[in-house]
Amino acid sequence: MAYNNFTLETVRREFQLEIVESAGVFSETETVAPREHFIADLQEKVQLAISIGTEKARSELIVTGVLFELREYLDRRISFFSGTEFNVDSEKGLTGVCDFLVSLSPILSFLEAPIIIIVEAKRENLTLGFGQCVAEMIAAQHFNAEKGNAIPCIYGSTTSGTEWRFLKLEGQRLHIDRAVYQITQCDKILGILSSMVEQKA
Amino acid sequence: MAYSNFTLDTVLTTFQLEIVEAMDIFANIEPVTPSSELMIALRKKVPVAAAINTEKARSELIVANVLFELLEQFNYRISLFSGIDFNVDAENGLTGMCDFLVSLSPMQSLLQAPVIALVEAKKEDPAPGIGQCIAEMLAAQRFNAEKGNDIPCIYGAATTGTEWKFLKLEKKRLHLDMEVYSIDRCDKILGILSSMVEQKA
Repeated sequence: MAYNNFTLETVRREFQLEIVESAGVFSETETVAPREHFIADLQEKVQLAISIGTEKARSELIVTGVLFELREYLDRRISFFSGTEFNVDSEKGLTGVCDFLVSLSPILSFLEAPIIIIVEAKRENLTLGFGQCVAEMIAAQHFNAEKGNAIPCIYGSTTSGTEWRFLKLEGQRLHIDRAVYQITQCDKILGILSSMVEQKA
Repeated sequence: MAYSNFTLDTVLTTFQLEIVEAMDIFANIEPVTPSSELMIALRKKVPVAAAINTEKARSELIVANVLFELLEQFNYRISLFSGIDFNVDAENGLTGMCDFLVSLSPMQSLLQAPVIALVEAKKEDPAPGIGQCIAEMLAAQRFNAEKGNDIPCIYGAATTGTEWKFLKLEKKRLHLDMEVYSIDRCDKILGILSSMVEQKA
């Protein structure tokens, strides 16, 4: 059992989550304008990622760029991790590799609490990624608590690079945003991600 | 059996390759000046990739950027693939996923012959990627021949992003460059990759 075995249904049952679904959980969030050269670069990479079509290409050409931009925008106060093993509770199936993790610590060489955002990349069906992403968010909650660095909310995103969906976990209450954000609204996506980091989302 | 099962030893024996090891196979190749965008990106991204230190982060933050630059340098006359299945000959173990693949065809939505270069990413040391890379190069040789698009040489690279080792396959003769190129010499790495595309390496 590992993160990728969870569906939304199994993770809800296993961890007794209450699910609140609504449109526009993050719609009020302020946008963050990316730097000009980032936009120019992104446009070409998005086209290429769509043509190649693999999860790997989408992660390399789009998702990494967005998270790197987020770190730059926040003056490198945060760290992000990619493909890191995150084994928290093997009995409960909270083990495996996370696509992307964002921590509020600036240290990159090892993972420090508190983890604030989990990003799960998918080739196409973002909804199918929810179970896995939520399991990783619960693991982050446990990890932060163990390190004595509990924060009220953990956020999550499932993304194909071109489309982004967002989640929020507060205690055992899981908020699912029905909105789908397109990479063409990159300023909105960056705004949501940075408001997560500021714990205002 | 798949590409990832091959070591240098097993691939040489299985396919009866003759190995030529030398210090200067690619030494005389002219460097290609990287764009200022790539230089800026690498200056920021290389330390982050080295700190995160997963194959995934190294691929996303370094290798993908270098290969994207190659695509730009050739004005999209070539195509780049990342994480695609490349199943050529199941009986001989030439199946599996390739980290990165460069084709001389500009078609980006579908892999077309001739495949010219294979790049295998590794976390810590490029050397363990060499066997796997050679197996993929042999598969490319067969793929090209089957499509009636034979080219005399297939090239390869095993890389951690920060260190690059280059290979050349000419029929059954494998040239293994003993030199290790560091990403500090990005102009040289781009020069070698470009000369591979031009089939002059």
